[in-house]
Amino acid sequence: MRSLIAAELLKLRSTRSAWIPLAAALAAAVVAVIANTSTAGHGGNPPLSPAALPDLLRSSGGQLVDGAVLLAWIVLSAGEFRHRTSVTTFLGQPRRLCVVSAKLAAAALTGAAVGLLAEALSAATSAAVLSAHHVPLHWAQPGVPGAVITVPLLAALYGVLGASLGLLLRNTAAALGLALMWAFVVEGILPVLIHAPGVVRWLPQAAANAVLHGASATTLPAGVALAVLAGYAVVLATGGALVTTRREIGTATG
Amino acid sequence: MNTIAVEALTKRYGTITAVDDLTFRLAPGRITGFLGPNGAGKSTTIRVLLGLARPTCGRATINGRRYAELRDPLRQVGALLDPNVFHPGRSGWAALRIAARPGRIPRHRVEEVLSLTGLAGAAHRRVGGYSLGMRQRLALAAALLGDPQTLVLDEPASGLDPEGVAWLRGLLRGLADQGRTIFVSSHQLAELAQTADDVVIINQGRLIAAGPMAGLLERSQASSLEDLFLGATSPHTQGAHPAFTRPRSLS
Repeated sequence: MRSLIAAELLKLRSTRSAWIPLAAALAAAVVAVIANTSTAGHGGNPPLSPAALPDLLRSSGGQLVDGAVLLAWIVLSAGEFRHRTSVTTFLGQPRRLCVVSAKLAAAALTGAAVGLLAEALSAATSAAVLSAHHVPLHWAQPGVPGAVITVPLLAALYGVLGASLGLLLRNTAAALGLALMWAFVVEGILPVLIHAPGVVRWLPQAAANAVLHGASATTLPAGVALAVLAGYAVVLATGGALVTTRREIGTATG
Repeated sequence: MNTIAVEALTKRYGTITAVDDLTFRLAPGRITGFLGPNGAGKSTTIRVLLGLARPTCGRATINGRRYAELRDPLRQVGALLDPNVFHPGRSGWAALRIAARPGRIPRHRVEEVLSLTGLAGAAHRRVGGYSLGMRQRLALAAALLGDPQTLVLDEPASGLDPEGVAWLRGLLRGLADQGRTIFVSSHQLAELAQTADDVVIINQGRLIAAGPMAGLLERSQASSLEDLFLGATSPHTQGAHPAFTRPRSLS
């Protein structure tokens, strides 16, 4: 299994269309801290204070990192069928569930690593900016450890969601389109269409927000939201595994 | 021992029967040409043999096992199905490293097969910039990664220049002389006539003829492999000549 996971990670490293979004998300983690701190004390925003640290860590590594990891693993897993590299993959390891497991593990590892790196970058940037403004740094205050744990955890789950969606649909454009449509359209209009605004908190993005920012009156408790998000990942991963084990692997020559 | 055995193999796609009760066996140390018109079922047979497609009934085995049951398959079977199975954005080197990982094949073997296939100089270029012949060589390099005893090659000479074809001929002969089983599907009959020891001819998914090429040519009184092939696959002569009975084994 280790060699299969290593192969999946090598695919990531050697595919620009997969790692460029991750690099962009890491850069955005730094930019987000600078942007948030530069507006502090202006235009009605509260001035910088030690209490700003948890929010800086959460906002910099949140949805951008999740989205980038999702995108990268959709490109990698669906791209196997687009570029027919699936033939080489399944000749090397014909036990297809092993390949699926390795992809999911590699996706989770990537998400966790990128999430941790984003947190490290935003922590370093926050420390530099807050120190420059003579704001003391309180790393042990409530919210900081939570952000450091939840950002990589959510990114790992989004990696699994991306890899699973790619395996399920086997079409990069369709999988990317569905993910974007879901994020920008479905989660917004579904509650209105079905006349049940309370449904929105059970949807993936709302659940991720509840995990990252904590529960509010309109969201699920963080623990329940995490379980809901994990449930989506399990359902999609099961679907991706079933499709991969049952369907045939094609070539141009038929 | 028979390295490749196809036994009563049938593969249907809906109402279309791609492979119909196909049986043949190959012996080691021989190059076997796998012939048939377009749509005869050659690629489907190979895909079933390699575990990429599931048979409707019957079985196809390598060393007595289905491909999915092979321990360390890359070290037992090398397969070339299509030169376009590499990500165009990756280098040839990265593509082979990725292919080598599941079999824990070391880095120096990747360098060896790149040199063997004449791609060492282009190893770090992107596959998207390779010519068809270079992609074919890369696919062959991937098939040779595990130094396997059995090679299954679908149109391996496609896209190669005359020098490449001659090189491939020498390579396959050398590998067969080492006792390996070489199974080559091809439409290039003149080339195959110089390379193959045995032939398996199928048409409409069914076995038409199989055996040592010299014996088949003699029995059918064909002057060339092309004559033998055209005679075997013609609806008028098929089954009428004693050469085109249905042998079950080449061994």
